[in-house]
Amino acid sequence: MNKNISKEYDVIIIGGGVTGAGTARDCAMRGLSVLLVERHDFATGATGRNHGLLHSGARYAVTDHESAAECIKENMILRRIANHCVEENDGLFITLPEDDIAFQSQFVDACKTAGIGTEILDPDFARRIEPSVNPDLIGAVKVPDGSVDPFRLTMSNALDARIHGAVLLTQHEVKGIVKEQDRAIGVELFNHETKQNVNYYGKIIVNAGGIWGHHIAKLAGVNINMFPAKGSLLIFGHRVNKMVINRCRKPSNADILVPGDTICLIGTTSERIPYDQIDNMFVSRQDVDVLIREGVKLSPTLATTRILRAYAGVRPLVAADNDPSGRSISRGIVLLDHQERDGLSGFITITGGKLMTYRLMAEEATDLICKKLAVDKQCETAEKSLPGAEKSEHPLSIATEKVYTGANISQKSAKDRHGTLAKNILNGDDYEDSLVCECEGVSIAEVKYAINELHVNNLIDLRRRTRVGMGTCQGELCACRAAGLLCESFEKPGKAKDDLANFLQERWKGMLPITWGEGINEIQFTSWIYEGIYGLKPDNN
Amino acid sequence: MKFDNIIIGGGLSGLTCGIKLAEQGKKCAIVSSGQSAIHFFSGSFDLLGKLNGQEVKNPLEAIKTLPDAHPYQRVGIKNIARLAVEAPQLLDRAGLQFSGKSDQNHFVLTPMGIMKPTWLTIDDFTRFEQNDVFPWKKAVILNFSGFLDFHTLFVQDGLKKYDVDVQIKNFAMKEFEAIRRNPSEMRSTNIAKVFDQGEDVLNEFAQKVNQLSEGFEVVILPAVFGLFTKNVVTDLKSMINKPLVLIPAIPPSVPGIRSQILLRKRFEELGGTYFLGDIVEEGTFKNNRLVAVQTNNHGNIKLEADQFVLASGSFYSKGIVATRDKLYEPILGLDIDGDIDSEKWLDEKFFNDQPYMHYGVKTDSGFRALKNGKPIENLFAAGSVLGGANALKEGSGAGISLLTSLHVAEQILK
Ligand SMILES: Cc1cc2nc3c(=O)[nH]c(=O)nc-3n(C[C@H](O)[C@H](O)[C@H](O)COP(=O)(O)OP(=O)(O)OC[C@H]3O[C@@H](n4cnc5c(N)ncnc54)[C@H](O)[C@@H]3O)c2cc1C
Ligand SMILES: Cc1cc2nc3c(=O)[nH]c(=O)nc-3n(C[C@H](O)[C@H](O)[C@H](O)COP(=O)(O)OP(=O)(O)OC[C@H]3O[C@@H](n4cnc5c(N)ncnc54)[C@H](O)[C@@H]3O)c2cc1C
Repeated sequence: MNKNISKEYDVIIIGGGVTGAGTARDCAMRGLSVLLVERHDFATGATGRNHGLLHSGARYAVTDHESAAECIKENMILRRIANHCVEENDGLFITLPEDDIAFQSQFVDACKTAGIGTEILDPDFARRIEPSVNPDLIGAVKVPDGSVDPFRLTMSNALDARIHGAVLLTQHEVKGIVKEQDRAIGVELFNHETKQNVNYYGKIIVNAGGIWGHHIAKLAGVNINMFPAKGSLLIFGHRVNKMVINRCRKPSNADILVPGDTICLIGTTSERIPYDQIDNMFVSRQDVDVLIREGVKLSPTLATTRILRAYAGVRPLVAADNDPSGRSISRGIVLLDHQERDGLSGFITITGGKLMTYRLMAEEATDLICKKLAVDKQCETAEKSLPGAEKSEHPLSIATEKVYTGANISQKSAKDRHGTLAKNILNGDDYEDSLVCECEGVSIAEVKYAINELHVNNLIDLRRRTRVGMGTCQGELCACRAAGLLCESFEKPGKAKDDLANFLQERWKGMLPITWGEGINEIQFTSWIYEGIYGLKPDNN
Repeated sequence: MKFDNIIIGGGLSGLTCGIKLAEQGKKCAIVSSGQSAIHFFSGSFDLLGKLNGQEVKNPLEAIKTLPDAHPYQRVGIKNIARLAVEAPQLLDRAGLQFSGKSDQNHFVLTPMGIMKPTWLTIDDFTRFEQNDVFPWKKAVILNFSGFLDFHTLFVQDGLKKYDVDVQIKNFAMKEFEAIRRNPSEMRSTNIAKVFDQGEDVLNEFAQKVNQLSEGFEVVILPAVFGLFTKNVVTDLKSMINKPLVLIPAIPPSVPGIRSQILLRKRFEELGGTYFLGDIVEEGTFKNNRLVAVQTNNHGNIKLEADQFVLASGSFYSKGIVATRDKLYEPILGLDIDGDIDSEKWLDEKFFNDQPYMHYGVKTDSGFRALKNGKPIENLFAAGSVLGGANALKEGSGAGISLLTSLHVAEQILK
């Protein structure tokens, strides 16, 4: 499908995280011709490895006023434009006996200054509205925190960029920046699917590579000093809490419990790692111990709740001081105009910030691009809803419109996952309604929709789009059913077998640090099915 | 309540051990908490499929080179050879026809279209004597439309390696409309139930198969026939006018469930008592002997016996339990052969030889379970609750279960 696409664009965006996808959308909405390139899949960097907290900004109110103010503003915008990606759960900042209750008033004042609404709750009342909270709490403040699904948010931005004409290439890795004297004019790409090299040209090249932006800048011959801070998280098998639960103290390890869909997440740790380790995202037993120990203080039931997976991500922070934990660094947005900074024109970097503030980051980057290209068009991303949001003005024009009727489990789940876009999932036919994944209610129709419309190249991508294999059974049998369907869209079924093997390995990575109890029983079962009965090997061709 | 022998666990080992004891006139009870591995099995029992990463041709020969701690070595090579002949006979008396040789592996076609070496195969399935020849050149794979648990494309892809011309056809039948309407109902056991219900459906189906397979030499179908009786499979084979190759679908396995049902039936017909859905919670020991066990359903009534067999399975069946920092045998607190350091349990590559797969209950050379370093005189361990081998990597799962359980039964009968 990419055979006849143009080789020249106004803007080439490197990175398919939320920042890249958001910038592609903004640029495309302002009428620019856009190419986005991503080395793996959408949301495989920090965007797919974070906490999914729709910050109210309260966490930063005391330590970082500017970030706090940005957060609350973007929080309110995302509730509007991306309501299919957001759960408006609210959050509690709790004070435990070991914490200083005096911090609470300082916290409430700082929130007020940043424009964040707070409500001090009586501990009794807090226990009533959030029964999972540590009953020993001595203070609680309610704030407008929420949860955000980073995969869905990124895909909605990418889809809208495509609706506005952008071209999106996944599995395309930037290996070099094409330069002409002091100007960046294009990118050298390696296509992981075809194993071929290809060049594309653009008037402006945007580095939205997250922590990898350090390396991408180097390819362009400029230097950004990035500060890789690894954070680990645990996903629990069911949703313990209704509201986000935070500790009311200065930000520290493992002090946020975020609910989302059917699960909840505790995080994060923070540890400085060498740059050459940023692709090695293992979680140690020590990390797991800290997360459980601190998590139980927020909600004691976590001690007996099944852990599904552990994972880690790297925060794309730009080095500012020598803080070894990387915590007191500003979470602020970093927009670098390399023409001014390094004398390299046609190249800009947008990084730092947060998932929360991706839209603002995209807006600032696009403003700069428009200025450089002398395009005079206002940003509209704060007003126009994303496709899939209830009030979206952009129904997907690509699929034939089928009416979304009935309300069986797969349709309901699909609606939760894709918002109003679920109507593009063909249904009504018994075959298409058949369930691929029972725990997450994913139907054949939804899998096909994802394969055809959402840039799915393999089972791991599919999991990011549809939650196939994300539920409590962790993909034991549904992965195999999905592989069967993916197989139909592959040229070589042999590839689907390797894909299945890769999927199992990838899933194993997340389970390794937490595999005991039910986890070890299930992994033994999975191994017997796939390796024993099916005869699957790591390499099947 | 008093029995001659009580067996904890009603999987393949517990049932075959119980059948052998009951055949010799012992008054036996099996207490089983639930599903066993046989619900999921492929249709074949493995003896030894792989050694040091190489496929094994002659399991009996290869077994001689296994380390001393391996359960097969503890049974003894001579005993293995003898019991390997006895096992299929015992199964046959239960109405389960398995065939194969212990000194020469045959091959079966897996759902991925791969030829896998094995020992005994239930007669639903086709035995291949060579792993590089598929005896037919033109094959048709038929599948029920909407049935996602059978991977026609994988099978087709696998058969290409044997130069087979394979076509895939999907078809619908009105009898399946009802189960297809509910998106989670189109599973192998539900399809099998439809065929179990009446000959008419099977007739109609066979006619359809004959039509669709015209011009082909062989028909390939998912193994979704005969949940409660084997007759469905036999009838189907006689109605189809050419060779029929069945391939396992995504578990649960229809032939597996049937095997479990028939083994239990045989045990009960021999006078055995089968407590289904009951959990053994603890035991009472006296002078290095287990005198009685307590179960969930029997409350204060203790179950007493002269000899006990622990056949409670591996992690998957909760015969062995791992918590964050502890590895233990949960029923009787027996000694475990396994690493204390939890960081050593797992390997970071899914397909590598996982250390935890070797873990199990420690026994002496006569399969008496050890507690605090001492063998319990009248308590034997059999099947996958034993340590000392990675049965998955070796392809020795059912072999270990069958042969250790028959061996233990002989120890008891001595
Ligand atoms: C543990 C943790 C918890 C967090 N929690 C929260 C939270 O609760 N709320 C919140 O708002 N924020 C949170 N964040 C921050 C947030 O995740 C990030 O700020 C945000 O996701 C960054 O997005 P990005 O698109 O800039 O970078 P990324 O998502 O990292 O995207 C960069 C992309 O570039 C691609 N890429 C790299 N090199 C190349 C190349 N050579 N060619 C092509 N593509 C390339 C990568 O594959 C990647 O997809 C958290 C971060 C971490 C690590
Ligand atoms: C999913 C799966 C598929 C397999 N497929 C094959 C195959 O196709 N071919 C092959 O050769 N090998 C296969 N194996 C290997 C398998 O381990 C052996 O073949 C064999 O079936 C194991 O039998 P077992 O009786 O030792 O244990 P299990 O089958 O695990 O049975 C143990 C039984 O003990 C019961 N139990 C546990 N604790 C208690 C308690 N406290 N009280 C009462 N009852 C209790 C359990 O409920 C269970 O029924 C498979 C294994 C698994 C897990």
